[in-house]
Amino acid sequence: MEEKKPAKIVLRDLQDKIAEDVWEAKRRGEKIGWCASNFPQEITTAMDIKVAYPENMGAAIGAKGGGRRMCEEAEAMGYSNDICSYARMNLAYAAHDDCPEIQIPRPDFLLCCNNICGCMMKWYENLALELDIPLFMIDIPHLTEEVCDTDRIAYIRAQFDDCIAGLEKLTGKKMDWDKFREVMEVSQRSSKAWLRAMDAMKNTPSPFSGFDTFNNMAVACVGRGTEDAAEAFELLADEYEALAAEGKSTFKGEEKYRILFEGIACWANLKFTYKALQSRGINLTSTIYGPAFSFLYQNMDELMAAYAYVPNSYCFEKEVQLRVDSAIRNKVDGAVMHINRSCKRWSGNTYEMERQLREKAGIPTMTFDGDQSDPRVFSEAQYDTRVQALTEIMEANRQSRKEESHA
Amino acid sequence: MTVKRYFLGIDVGSTASKCVIIDEDKRIAASVVIPVGTGTTGPARAFAAACEEAGIREEDLACITATGYGRNTFEKADRTVSELSAHALGVHTLYPEAKTVIDIGGQDAKAIRIGSNGRLENFIMNDKCAAGTGRFLEVMARILERDVSELGTMDKEAEGTVAVSSTCTVFAESEVISQLARGVDIKSLVRGIDESVAVRTAGLVKRLGVIDPVIMTGGVAANAGVVSALEYELGTEITVSSIAQQNGAFGAAVYGLQKTVR
Amino acid sequence: MRDVKEILKDLTWIADNPRACLDEVLAEGKKAVGVMPYYAPEELVYAAGMVPFGLWGADMAVSASRQYFPAFYCGIVHTILELGLTGKLSGLSAVMIPLTCDSLKGMGANWKYGVKTIPIIDVPYAQNRKIEAGKAFTTAKYREILEKLESISGKKATDEDILAAIRLFNENRAACLEFVRLAPKHTDVISALARSRVLKSRTFGDRARHTALVRELNEALAALPECTKGVPVVTTGILADSSELMNILDENGYVIAADQVAYESVELRYPVPEVPADPVSGFAVRLAETEGTSVLYDPGKKRAADLKDLAKEAGAAGVIWVGTKFCDPEEFDYVPVKKVLEEADIPLLTLEVDRQMVNFEQIRTAAEAFKDAVQ
Repeated sequence: MEEKKPAKIVLRDLQDKIAEDVWEAKRRGEKIGWCASNFPQEITTAMDIKVAYPENMGAAIGAKGGGRRMCEEAEAMGYSNDICSYARMNLAYAAHDDCPEIQIPRPDFLLCCNNICGCMMKWYENLALELDIPLFMIDIPHLTEEVCDTDRIAYIRAQFDDCIAGLEKLTGKKMDWDKFREVMEVSQRSSKAWLRAMDAMKNTPSPFSGFDTFNNMAVACVGRGTEDAAEAFELLADEYEALAAEGKSTFKGEEKYRILFEGIACWANLKFTYKALQSRGINLTSTIYGPAFSFLYQNMDELMAAYAYVPNSYCFEKEVQLRVDSAIRNKVDGAVMHINRSCKRWSGNTYEMERQLREKAGIPTMTFDGDQSDPRVFSEAQYDTRVQALTEIMEANRQSRKEESHA
Repeated sequence: MTVKRYFLGIDVGSTASKCVIIDEDKRIAASVVIPVGTGTTGPARAFAAACEEAGIREEDLACITATGYGRNTFEKADRTVSELSAHALGVHTLYPEAKTVIDIGGQDAKAIRIGSNGRLENFIMNDKCAAGTGRFLEVMARILERDVSELGTMDKEAEGTVAVSSTCTVFAESEVISQLARGVDIKSLVRGIDESVAVRTAGLVKRLGVIDPVIMTGGVAANAGVVSALEYELGTEITVSSIAQQNGAFGAAVYGLQKTVR
Repeated sequence: MRDVKEILKDLTWIADNPRACLDEVLAEGKKAVGVMPYYAPEELVYAAGMVPFGLWGADMAVSASRQYFPAFYCGIVHTILELGLTGKLSGLSAVMIPLTCDSLKGMGANWKYGVKTIPIIDVPYAQNRKIEAGKAFTTAKYREILEKLESISGKKATDEDILAAIRLFNENRAACLEFVRLAPKHTDVISALARSRVLKSRTFGDRARHTALVRELNEALAALPECTKGVPVVTTGILADSSELMNILDENGYVIAADQVAYESVELRYPVPEVPADPVSGFAVRLAETEGTSVLYDPGKKRAADLKDLAKEAGAAGVIWVGTKFCDPEEFDYVPVKKVLEEADIPLLTLEVDRQMVNFEQIRTAAEAFKDAVQ
């Protein structure tokens, strides 16, 4: 009998399979798309339409060291270095169809959803023009209140219907609403398992190295509507819970301190950002990718609303609350906050978020300059100094708490 | 039996190496600045010069603590400490009442909150693209064909201000060059440069929150123009540390003393 | 009849003294509501018995806003927030924040916790603006905005009030557009700077007064002999109100023959239709019809084609891209716009302006060189 694979490997294989399925479909002559990571995957999964994800590609290029080259290619085309690096790299790829780090098949259509940022909309406008292919966009108006209202739900629902009709016409595939409901159910299983896995971070020590979340979330985000994904996340949650029950962890070394990491990972500098923390015994035990990528819903209306409840679409107070709750539940000693040069949506409130985190969660924080994929923005010395200073504060805080409890 | 009773702190910065030796009573036995920083012979020279000034040998040092950007490359170090903690501790030792430290070094500007016992409680550092550091002033001084140390005096003599407000050093550089081409008063331009550094630094300090007394450290503290512009921006009085440039090294030495005695 | 110079003096004063205009409004016992970019339903403020006050920032250095926005955000959001944080906008009863770009989406929380004393009215709207569901969403949200405005002013707006406000603002748009058409025919009296002041002044103070002034100006211009001396160009971008920049255009003999600037003609070109049965729905129609702007969904990049047509119709020697530093919607549009203009053999001068910029030498050099190239 085959030995049981660890969840990490299962998830990685699943991600590879999702990517390979798109190539396979392309070879079969099916129409395939490029898709925004937060586009409702229920639609494509239920219609059995295969799509590739430029954002995931961007992360992979960054991680494999091609970020600088691809960004510079886009800049040579006239794109400002002010623009999101995922967008820059993908627009360069669309124009030149050349990237040694990773390839995705040429698309026949584009699926955009702007809930995470307005930049997404501009990026896909340009892609549609560059590639001269149809673009379907689901607009999720930025939410400034805690609850997604019925007007939004009706608007989003109408766009779902338009988009489905458009895709049916373009691909020749029919929407199967029974399948859609199945996908909704399976997605719920995945989301709940994902939440359960992420919730294991509350244990001391956390049963896993929090940086793993950056890798695992890709499938949580784009592939959660499949049976395979649901099983993989259940496996992941079971593994984490089993480790936690034994007081074990996959984190290398002793977990001395626990932090909240705010922002997208610096893919081009992932190793350095991780090492500077890990070498000081700091584990990441809180990230917004935990609570926020869960998409819990019971019916169609709630499904529409779920897409407004994603990070950067949600109202600020709720964003703060999610982080403060997670910081407290997962017992963090401090926060490391990424001022991401690529992401105007995310970085525009980080200073205020920092103030509120300090006050409401009672933790020290530090910010650093970085970018999700453009390595030119990040500075190792700056990051390391700030991590060390944060560590010194966390150490002193612990010392004074000890002294207080002895007093 | 000889008791080792000296503590050395070395601040290996981006543009200078600073070294301070103290005794067990935190009295300064030597204080040296060499104007080249990490990756040069600066740190070694600063170390040797400090030992000579104190009249001691390396063996007499109970603890060597390195801080600054090059702290991890200084091989003689027994310990390292971030310059944030070092500055907090250095200021606290000399100015026990101090609550806020503003440090403008070569690459970084920092606002530091000192907690009880001289502990680093919180800090805010500059964005990469927000020009407002010692390096920025050096670049500007070079364009003006002046020594950076002259800027403070020139500012004082200025009759007006020529505003310099670009976001990045590179842009500010071209801005200053074109102002020169237009023949503006250099002294007023210097004041504009100083004010631009002050405005950016004030932003950091306000993010941290201004609590008096405020002490300023770092090489830029020697520039009276920046200090008074900063006082204006923050609406509070600023005391320049008596060992502004060596404060980080001094704090590192104190850190070594605390850790060793404990 | 007053001469052009005198009328221009009045309009320029308004454009250059927004705070005094605000104080005038407040002294009359009226309430004022700040209106940030882009395409907000200002008419609703008016219908609710208050005066809309344009908030597009100012050319100035910032300090306090740096505690909220990192350095790489545009001068528009930085300086609006700076004005708010430093008390320069005291007296406003609220500010409207359209959630059009990512930087403005960040404005809400920064304003709320920074400025505190002036409440916010968020302006959501549908980016899929041409479909019925999109229009319905925008209309529904604008109705909520109207309610919020009514609760601030204490005055209910009837349908007739809304229609009257729409009419009043449309009349202002028409008068301004007529001015935009006349200006390049009278280059001896209308400089680029004066043109920008006339258009900018509409956002401060009473709109009816502005309409009267612009109509008076148009009449005075129409009575003058034509003068078209200069190098005709079309400007495009978010805003082009920097006096330094306008001076450089004037020094080099440029004439703005037409513009595709959000703060100028783009806003003017699309009146709000009067829909008696449901007046608020007119705003959604207007949003659906608006073209030539980077902040509204534009899948075919109609903006680029429109700009090309505009330049051709105006007989422009070239197009000036007035880039707003750190504005990513504009930076995305730049590449396809450049391509379309190149294919049409229309020369393009690319400039980047920032509200915090004090030195324009590089722009001056580029403007001089471009003139030599297109002449």
